[in-house]
Amino acid sequence: MTHPSELISAYLDGELIEDETSELFSHLATCGRCSADLEEMQSVRAAVRSLPVLELPAGLLPEADAVVVPIHRNRGVWVGAAAAAVALIIAIASIVTPPPASVSADDLSSRFGARASLDPAFSPAKVVVPVLGNLSE
Amino acid sequence: MKRYVSLVVVFILMPASAAWATELDELLEQSREAAYTAEQIISCSTPDGVRDAVVRIAQSSGEIRMTSTVAADIEVSSGDGGWTLSRQGGVISSASVDSEEMAPVEPLYVVEDAGSADFLGREVTVHQLIRDGVLRAALVFDDETGALVTATTFTASGDTYCERRFVSFDPTDPMLESPDFLEAEVLQPRSEVETLLPESVGGFDRLDFYEDEEGLRFAYYSDGFFSFAVFETPTIVAFPDAKTIQFGDAVYERTFTAGQVTYVWETRSGGMALLGDLPPDLHESVLATLPPPQDPGILRRLWRSLFG
Repeated sequence: MTHPSELISAYLDGELIEDETSELFSHLATCGRCSADLEEMQSVRAAVRSLPVLELPAGLLPEADAVVVPIHRNRGVWVGAAAAAVALIIAIASIVTPPPASVSADDLSSRFGARASLDPAFSPAKVVVPVLGNLSE
Repeated sequence: MKRYVSLVVVFILMPASAAWATELDELLEQSREAAYTAEQIISCSTPDGVRDAVVRIAQSSGEIRMTSTVAADIEVSSGDGGWTLSRQGGVISSASVDSEEMAPVEPLYVVEDAGSADFLGREVTVHQLIRDGVLRAALVFDDETGALVTATTFTASGDTYCERRFVSFDPTDPMLESPDFLEAEVLQPRSEVETLLPESVGGFDRLDFYEDEEGLRFAYYSDGFFSFAVFETPTIVAFPDAKTIQFGDAVYERTFTAGQVTYVWETRSGGMALLGDLPPDLHESVLATLPPPQDPGILRRLWRSLFG
């Protein structure tokens, strides 16, 4: 079964013609998933519409006193712009910055072994055994 | 294996014949100059279970080659500040440290002669290493060559931590050629460093400090016999078989191999790791004096994973 999610979205936007609306409701009668989707999208839209509309304090920007700014619309724009800016910074930085050098357990053992080999107490009876095998495994 | 363990017990129970204390450095220097081939069993009783291995060793003129009996294609070459781990002739990892101007190590151990014995048909002498009144190691040296043929280390409570014992010994010079450590950057000890690593850790002195081109920094600590290195790494080093260990509020990842313990943990400034041959009873006190584990937070962790 295909789920006409684009029809649900268009229906909520009032963009369906009569035949398409009939088709959608026929599908909704037999599809619990799409019915649930429609219900959820309706509740989200209702919640968004219920957000308060704020006005700028009078005198803050005299030329904008008459302008009423619906905050819920602009907030999405700003959040999107900020996310895009962060993503852009990370993308640029990841291009111009070499990735961190990976350090393995063998690298650490080799450095320790090299320095330990200069230790007066170094001998085969003391030396580190990095990967020479474990009989218990 | 029981036969070897009981032999060590006999060594330890021997009365200290006397009364002359031998310099530890002198004994170990003789051992380093010995030429031989041998097969060595290493068995360590760790808090995470037994770790053991069998290693073939060839030593000549300070150069050492080690191969595993269970992974014959792996070889470790060591000597004069160099260390190379290779598999089937290809280098897996290599490091080299400048051997000039090494800080002297002040031995903190009293060395007692614990008598003579017969080992693998050869005459040997047993020495005990005692620090602060606690027996920490029993070393058995071959009288003819000076080679260290058995070394047993102990915890403070007297339990055996690691036993390393030759099971075959041939005092013929294997005539090793000097290995090529040129692939590795030669690390120079740095005299002036800015680091959170203390100069003394649980009775161990920081002897020197290194930083390579990749920004990996480490300090080397020793008390004259046991030693360890503490690394400051850009990111935490993952050990797949590590076990989570908690000392107080501090949480570490720990793994034991035959003869070596490794701890790794994360701090706000990066990762840290400790590698060494410390007996388990010293772990907590040593770690307590190092920078503790810290949660760097999700943003630092993300940034670090991207840019180091």
